[in-house]
Amino acid sequence: MASTSNADTSTISLPVVFTTQTSYPLPSQKFMIPATWKRYQLSQLVNKALALPKPVPFDFLVKGEILRTTLAEWAAENGVGEEETLEIEYIESVMPPEKVSDFPHEDWVSSVSCKLQGQFITASYDGHIRTFDYSQATTSSVHAHSAPITSICLVPSSSALDTDTDTHIIASASHDLTAQLTQLSLRAPTKATPLATLHLHTAPLSSIASNTTGTHLLTASWDGLIGLWDTSVPASDEVPDLTPSERERKKRRREDEGLKKKVPRKAPLGVLKSHIGRVSKALFSAASGEGGGGGGGTAYSCGFDSTVRVWDTENGVCVHTISVFAFSSSSDSIKYPQTASEKPFLDLAPAPAPAPAFQHTVLAASTDRTVTLYDVRAPTPTQAINPPISFMHPATPSCLSSQQSSTHQHQFVSGAYDGIVRLWDLRSVKGALATFRAWPGAEKVLSVDVDWERGLVGVGGEGGFAVWKVGNAR
Amino acid sequence: MAVKDVAKNGKKRKQSSEDDAPAPPTMTVGELEMLSDEEDGPDAVSDDGEVDEFPEIDTRSDSEDEEFEGLDEGDDSEEEGDGYEEEDDSSDTGSLHVFPKAKTIVSDITGQPKRVYPEIEPDYDSDSSTEDDPNRVGNVPMHWYDDLPHIGYDIDGKKVLRPARGDELDRFLSTVEDPSAWTSVFDKNTQMDKPLTTEELDIIRRLYAGEVPDAEYDPYEPTTEWFTGKGKEEIMPLSSAPEPKRRWVPSKWEKQKAGRIGSQPSSSHPPPLPAPKPRLPTNSESYNPPEEYLPGEEERKEWENQDPEDRDRDYLPQKHSALRLVPAYDCFIKERFSRQLDLYLAPRIQRVKLNIDPSTLIPKLPSPSSLKPFPNYSSLKFTHTKGRARCVSVSPDGGWVISGDESGKVSLWEVNVGREVKSWNFDSQIGALDWCPRLDVSYFAVTVEEKIHFIIPPNVHGPVLSLTQALLAPATLPPAPTTPSPVKWVTPSTSSRSMDTPILTANLPASSGLPTQLAWHRRGDYLATVSTGGTQGGVWIHQVTRRHSQAPFKKVKGAVQMVLFHPLKPHFFVATQQHVRIYNLSEQKLLKTLVPGIKWISSMDVHPSGDHLIVGGYDRKLCWFDLELSDKPYKIMRYHTRAIRSLHFHPSYPLFASSSDDGAIQIFHSRVYNDLMTDPLIVPLKILRGHEIRDGLGVLQVKWCSRQPWLVSGGADGTIAVWCS
Repeated sequence: MASTSNADTSTISLPVVFTTQTSYPLPSQKFMIPATWKRYQLSQLVNKALALPKPVPFDFLVKGEILRTTLAEWAAENGVGEEETLEIEYIESVMPPEKVSDFPHEDWVSSVSCKLQGQFITASYDGHIRTFDYSQATTSSVHAHSAPITSICLVPSSSALDTDTDTHIIASASHDLTAQLTQLSLRAPTKATPLATLHLHTAPLSSIASNTTGTHLLTASWDGLIGLWDTSVPASDEVPDLTPSERERKKRRREDEGLKKKVPRKAPLGVLKSHIGRVSKALFSAASGEGGGGGGGTAYSCGFDSTVRVWDTENGVCVHTISVFAFSSSSDSIKYPQTASEKPFLDLAPAPAPAPAFQHTVLAASTDRTVTLYDVRAPTPTQAINPPISFMHPATPSCLSSQQSSTHQHQFVSGAYDGIVRLWDLRSVKGALATFRAWPGAEKVLSVDVDWERGLVGVGGEGGFAVWKVGNAR
Repeated sequence: MAVKDVAKNGKKRKQSSEDDAPAPPTMTVGELEMLSDEEDGPDAVSDDGEVDEFPEIDTRSDSEDEEFEGLDEGDDSEEEGDGYEEEDDSSDTGSLHVFPKAKTIVSDITGQPKRVYPEIEPDYDSDSSTEDDPNRVGNVPMHWYDDLPHIGYDIDGKKVLRPARGDELDRFLSTVEDPSAWTSVFDKNTQMDKPLTTEELDIIRRLYAGEVPDAEYDPYEPTTEWFTGKGKEEIMPLSSAPEPKRRWVPSKWEKQKAGRIGSQPSSSHPPPLPAPKPRLPTNSESYNPPEEYLPGEEERKEWENQDPEDRDRDYLPQKHSALRLVPAYDCFIKERFSRQLDLYLAPRIQRVKLNIDPSTLIPKLPSPSSLKPFPNYSSLKFTHTKGRARCVSVSPDGGWVISGDESGKVSLWEVNVGREVKSWNFDSQIGALDWCPRLDVSYFAVTVEEKIHFIIPPNVHGPVLSLTQALLAPATLPPAPTTPSPVKWVTPSTSSRSMDTPILTANLPASSGLPTQLAWHRRGDYLATVSTGGTQGGVWIHQVTRRHSQAPFKKVKGAVQMVLFHPLKPHFFVATQQHVRIYNLSEQKLLKTLVPGIKWISSMDVHPSGDHLIVGGYDRKLCWFDLELSDKPYKIMRYHTRAIRSLHFHPSYPLFASSSDDGAIQIFHSRVYNDLMTDPLIVPLKILRGHEIRDGLGVLQVKWCSRQPWLVSGGADGTIAVWCS
């Protein structure tokens, strides 16, 4: 063993094979690496071996763990003998995150979106949707809901509106039991106008999501229903108005709020009903956008009933249900089948990579402080069922964000109630690649949105909205 | 009497001899051993004795006096009877009377020696009976004359005056002059001193020596053989019946009894263990052992160098060619001594020792990790800045929490975000709050000083809202109850109604204090409140639909701490300071009184099945009652280090939680079985710490989320924590 004495470690070499999925492959051959080497020496080795014009820092993954010590120490910790050939995968290093800008809010920010070029969109508990440009100036603010907004999403420009690149539609979901479509015009003066309100749910909404082409929306609610909507704005009310007393109340509230013009009330295309508890997130699969109109495609949802469900939105049926069996968090790895509500899920995100190993997988954050990777395909008898990979957090992970990107194929971001945002790599299960504390205190993070194109992570939560620079933006 | 006197004299004399040391020893008359050894100054003694005698006699009771007198008289009569100084009376038998002694003289006539008795003079003097009796009193106690100047009467009927007695000095002089004064006593009959006779002195001496007083009695006289001895045997049997068999057959009953004693020795006295036997000698101990037993030179050296206790045997084999060459055994004394020690220290009895592994006494409990899910970490915290968070409640759908603090603020927030959505402010401390358990309506009740407010939360779905409004503020009010109630129900008018004010308020009677507890019936129509500081126990049961309140108890013994509705039956639990009473509300009678043995009950909760009740106290105890089983607790647990504040059963999971002033919350797995034979399984799962202790108060209330194994706890530090699994 290399750690027997210092004199030995200086001379001992470990056989190592390097693999990578980056664009800097090394020839597959065995290297004898001194056991005292750390990440820096290894990175230099790769750079020299490839004779890169500009040095690229690399991180090294050994058996699902990022190498942070010398090889000898790692081998001693994991009980690997010096004869064993180590397979080390190297990835491009993630730069330490830096704070770019801070957008203080009076109230908590429940949802953020960085998808719109040049703008940040935030939704707050005071019912406002705000947009900011990169110079931290508020470009617009609209009081969209009378109750806290829980979620927003940018509806990508669909055929109806893509002629106008400065006009975007934002969908928002709120505690007031409705979702809303708001048109945001970026031409000066920026203006936000409500287009339609979406009426289906009888309990506060928890999330809203759009497909990639922007033709359809999914809303998830506490009442266990998932609403499927198209994004067309109806000419007139599709849903009758509420009871007189309720209308009275609404009226009064509108008067209080400064008299907004009445917007058409929209009805859902369909209702996906199978969850037996609060649905916390519903989203379209990445591939479902190509299916075209008619609401066709696949959707995923997760809820407090500890299930992740896969939906055929065209027929409105639940295709597959993943019921969670809890795995003991300790190392003894004994399975205990449990009652249904073992893992109430808080958020769901598609796995970031198009790589075959991670296709058809979703990440789900649950209140047992794990983010777990689930295979959503229907299990086939021949396929071996692997236990899902879990990423452990010290606090409740409240939000997840991932984006398909050629440079960050395996990375996703999670925010937690301890105020720390973590950047994870799917191959490094045991520790996050990078962490940063969004605000000085331990304010809760409620929403993260990552944009690998620009290397930005928007963080919304108790402390407002902050933008951090993460990753290797080019 | 005389003995006493003498003894007393001795004592007194001793004293006096010490007092007046120069008193010269004078000659004494009698040789009385009993006195002689202590005798120093007999003259002074008798005098002293007599002086001291009188007061002693006088102070005695009458009966003793009489006895005393009688004895004196007896002495006198005896004295009168004999008159002589007779020494040789040992041969005489029977009486104490001493006959005139005969003289042996040689007869003139016969020449033979003959006995000659003194002449009896036939005059009155010769016989004592004819003597002139100096007694003029008769046979009456002499003390009758004690306070009279005379004693008796003479033949002429004249009083015979008491003879004059000299004073102390005269008496002393007389004792000095008269050598026999110390053996004389005062005779009351004759009113003069009389010397004791030799016989009397002898009697005294014998009594003093503990002998038989009668000098004639011989305790050692030879036995007179009357029935045994030569010629007196009975040869012929009295009866001709043959000798019975039992004379010569061993007794059956004795045999049985002996068998019984022998066969059951272990009950009280087990038989002593046999003494340890000495080891038998082996070949090597022989005087002429085979060669292979003999130690070599190295073995011998090694044996000698070893300590005696380390040697494997305490001798070295030695070879002697003949037994007569064997020397004396030099270790004999030592060996005998160690053998004695062996016997002395050997155990007399075999004690049955219980070899119990302590770990087997601990009940086998399943591992907590197999009993997941249960809350194990604090997911988020909500803070009341102004005061202690006294009370929390979770909505029946599990999405919202309301919490009230001591400054009068009620906050509504999401369970798993912790963001306050709305708050209501009241002007006094919040006593209790609870969500209505109905799912088709949505409102909650908040108690402040003498008031119960009913509030509708915001963002309620339309139909639910209208139903709630119709329930709490109907267009047509229900008819007023026939009996007027002191509780007034008030709804603000439609115009002044807003989301910030309660839609309905029940005003409890004035000065009834703060309702500190609120319990809903599971149907959500009735609720019970407990006020502190008011009269009649402060228990009220309110019916929301009829807007009617009643006090179910005219008078409750003790201060009511808490009330609860049974989840299934029309039963009502009332916890007073030390008892829990169960009432049947429909039959209006007391069903049961549970005695938890807690000094001051602080909280209780009933299991959702309704068959089990947990009661917690300020004295840290928690009692689990199986209501089907007994009035006594099934299990008493004391695991908190400070007073228990709050208890709650999870409505669906087999969990309960208890919170305490030590700042900790303990989670228990509590599985109950429908089978009456199986005991409930209670497993401690987790101690949740995180609340700070302020002013000696820790966690004031815990509540479970209805659908998740999540716990909401309000602490004295103003924070409300949500604990997730």
